[in-house]
Amino acid sequence: MRAAWRAEWAKLLTGRAAPAVPLGLAVLLTAGGVALGRDSVDPVQLRLLGVRLGQAAVAAAGVQLLAGEYGSGLIRTSLLAVPRRLDLLAAKAALLTAFVAPAAGLAVGVAVIGLPPGGALARAAVASVVYLILVGLLGLGVAAVVRNSATAVGIVLALLYLMPMVLRMLPDPDWQRVLYRLTPATAVQALTTSTAGPVALPLSPAAALGVVAAWAAGALALGAFVLHRRDA
Amino acid sequence: MTTIEVNGLRKRFGSSAALDGMTFVVRPGHVTGFVGPNGAGKSTTLRMIVGLDRPDAGTATIGGRRYAELPCPMRHAGALLDPHALHPARSGRDHLRWLARSQDLPDTRVDAVLALAGLTAAGRRTAGGYSLGMRQRLGVAAALLGDPPVLLLDEPFNGLDPAGIVWMRGLLRDLAADGRSVLVSSHLMSELQDMAGHVVVAGHGRVVADAGVDELIGAYTSLEAAYLELTAGVGGIR
Amino acid sequence: MIWRAEWLKFRTVRGWMFGAAAAVLIVVALGVLAATSVTMSCMDGTHEVDCPAPPTDSAGRSVADKFTFVHRALDGDGSITARVGGLDGTITYPPPDHDEIVRGVVPWAKAGLMVKDGTEPGADYAAVMVTGSHGVRMQSGFTRDRAAVPGREAWLRLTRQGDEITGDVSADGAAWQRIETVRLDGLPATVQIGLFVTSPNGMTVEENPQGGHAVAARWTQATAQFSQVSPAGGWTESLVGYSDYRTTWEQAHPPGHTETGGVITVAGAGEIGIDSENGLAVERVLTGVFAGLLPLIVVAVLCGTAEFRHRMIRTTLAAMPRPVRVSVAKAGVVGVVSLLAGLVAVAVTLPVASRMLRANAVVVLAVSWPTMLRIALGTALLLSLAGVLAYGVGALLRRAVPAVVAVTALLLAPPILAVTSVLPPDVGTWLLRLTPGAAFAIQQSVAAYPQLSRPQTVADGYFPLPPWAGLAVLALWALAAVAAATWRLRRSPA
Repeated sequence: MRAAWRAEWAKLLTGRAAPAVPLGLAVLLTAGGVALGRDSVDPVQLRLLGVRLGQAAVAAAGVQLLAGEYGSGLIRTSLLAVPRRLDLLAAKAALLTAFVAPAAGLAVGVAVIGLPPGGALARAAVASVVYLILVGLLGLGVAAVVRNSATAVGIVLALLYLMPMVLRMLPDPDWQRVLYRLTPATAVQALTTSTAGPVALPLSPAAALGVVAAWAAGALALGAFVLHRRDA
Repeated sequence: MTTIEVNGLRKRFGSSAALDGMTFVVRPGHVTGFVGPNGAGKSTTLRMIVGLDRPDAGTATIGGRRYAELPCPMRHAGALLDPHALHPARSGRDHLRWLARSQDLPDTRVDAVLALAGLTAAGRRTAGGYSLGMRQRLGVAAALLGDPPVLLLDEPFNGLDPAGIVWMRGLLRDLAADGRSVLVSSHLMSELQDMAGHVVVAGHGRVVADAGVDELIGAYTSLEAAYLELTAGVGGIR
Repeated sequence: MIWRAEWLKFRTVRGWMFGAAAAVLIVVALGVLAATSVTMSCMDGTHEVDCPAPPTDSAGRSVADKFTFVHRALDGDGSITARVGGLDGTITYPPPDHDEIVRGVVPWAKAGLMVKDGTEPGADYAAVMVTGSHGVRMQSGFTRDRAAVPGREAWLRLTRQGDEITGDVSADGAAWQRIETVRLDGLPATVQIGLFVTSPNGMTVEENPQGGHAVAARWTQATAQFSQVSPAGGWTESLVGYSDYRTTWEQAHPPGHTETGGVITVAGAGEIGIDSENGLAVERVLTGVFAGLLPLIVVAVLCGTAEFRHRMIRTTLAAMPRPVRVSVAKAGVVGVVSLLAGLVAVAVTLPVASRMLRANAVVVLAVSWPTMLRIALGTALLLSLAGVLAYGVGALLRRAVPAVVAVTALLLAPPILAVTSVLPPDVGTWLLRLTPGAAFAIQQSVAAYPQLSRPQTVADGYFPLPPWAGLAVLALWALAAVAAATWRLRRSPA
């Protein structure tokens, strides 16, 4: 496991830094929230709007990390070196976390620069960073399931952006309400705001993080299962 | 001394059986040729030995253990299966360096195998620009990185220039003489006749013949004649 | 030849045909789902009834047409003149406390003179009027609106001459100023001419800190005094578009008119204009296009990138050594396949979903047939151009993941973020002018009209660009992407 982790690092550092492009984009998009000013009922939420754009790029980085190896055929060499496939997935997940965390931290920090500090701001900022990491892991998990990078990105983007819209078309309003709370889009709304209270928000921030974590964990578990079962 | 044991491997892809009870043993000390028509199941067998494909039934072990159970597996078995399994933007040397990290090997091994494969100069360029022959050399370098007692090579002569073929032949012979188990799949009977001590002939997903090269030449005059006779009517692709 | 080769290439990759089919299925399935999920019920006084369909105008559009009309028949040409003033009224339970009925006039309360083709709601009309706070105006055909002079009191004159209706305004009844002349085609010889008063709901918009706004509407009534009406006499009163239901206020102060000493006082409540509230906009059943576009984008991007990934471009260029033609042919194949997918999706979704909505007693807002055609063909064209854009970006970047993310961010994210009120309204408006997402304007069935009092922002589903202009923005993006990809192909083929 330790060796797998070090190999992934070496791969990252020698590979013309392939994930650097989506990650740089994620930082730009997320940090871009700083340009939105503070004229809002909830300036924290306004500034953190970039998180909702940046998450697409973070998810792409997660997808690329694994699906890219399937695209080039490198995966076969990787599995010769690390034949225990769960170790490979775990190493990649750890690596992804290790480089998304500082990037997201930097981007969110820039985005909220100049806002009056406070508990609500700190909570929203930390939650945003954790959220971005989880979205990256979601991308990695989906890539392990479908292997084709474009398809994986399409699926992740649908999960992130289109679910609320599709749910709005469900016939049963009770189901609609329940499922609506389980979408990442609802979660990001609950996580990036400084207004609290169950009236304004469909989810508490803690529950929202739980929802996203469940999505990421579910995708990784399914990815691990498929990776383990299917031929390389 | 480490052997490769392939025992009753079966695998279906959809409706066609790729492997149908493939069984043989590769012993150390000589090169074992692995021959058979296209689609006879040679590549699938090699992929199963290193755990890239899952068998429906049967086992493939290296020194009594499955490849995935080996700690630092490339120190126990090196494989050249697909010379294109690399990232085109990474240099050949960096490709070997990340592999070395994964096996807890020092970078001195990287430079050693690069020199052995004749890639010391080319190793700094990105692998995307390599010819097939250079990719084969890089693949051999990767297989030898962990100085393993077992080697698996799929069509290693593909794309090599005449000097490369001579180099490869000598290298495989020396590796076997050191007491390693070397399994080489190839269609080049004349190469194998000069180099291999033992031949496994596959057809229809199982072993058709498993004999010493001298034995076969004695019975059929040449390895090529033996191959054609043994695989006559034994199709590969169905 | 080159086209047939590219078409064969496309249809022989199973995943690509599957993606195009998935796009169609998603649009249809979500359209049907949307149709089954909508329910609508209306109160007629105290009991629940199926909602009545709003009236339609001569072009077939759903309109609001409710006002008090004091009128008489006019044979052939003629005119009416009156001094209109004393605009007053009632607003029920306005902010801040929402606890009392107050005296007041909402900005778009209207009182004035009207020529109308009968008294049926939806019939053609032209009118001059004073308004609560938008001055003197001339309006006609439910959408036309022309401002004249400010003020709540004025002398007004309306003249019919053949198919032409002319409105004039005067401060003193002596010096007249022409507002405009409008044509009402096919107006019969006998029309109704007279005085009208109406007053739309009072609206307040409350910003929601979570994005978007909540609209509160309250019932209002307006009264106005008409004096020195000439010619005078012979009036009939019609409550155009009223149901039998009366609000509590109306039970004590019924709509209608009274005449004392040559001054006619008219009271009325309602709205005259395009209706976008009392029914479902037809494009709602095409919301699935957002989701259906994703597989289409993935497939189109892969068409652009696959050749480079597998170095197949060398084979392609060896067989067809003219990069520009290869690029154009590939874009064409993607465009035609997406167009066909779009046509099939729309041709199935619109009739099936409309029928299901009707079976559910859901009122679908009527649109004119050119608008319907525009929505149907425009949606198919939107899919087609989106496919070409995705192909172009894929062939330009030669990497699938960045291409899919880029196209999604440019095409799908702006309308979704703007319509779901995530973005500040002005940011959303600019995004929907500049990004390919502007193309979704092609689906908007009801345009925004400033003379309607409800909010009509991006968050309410009103796009800043006109339909075809929005689609043209996407077309330009698609053209630019393919041109850039072609340029790159010529410069560095592989």
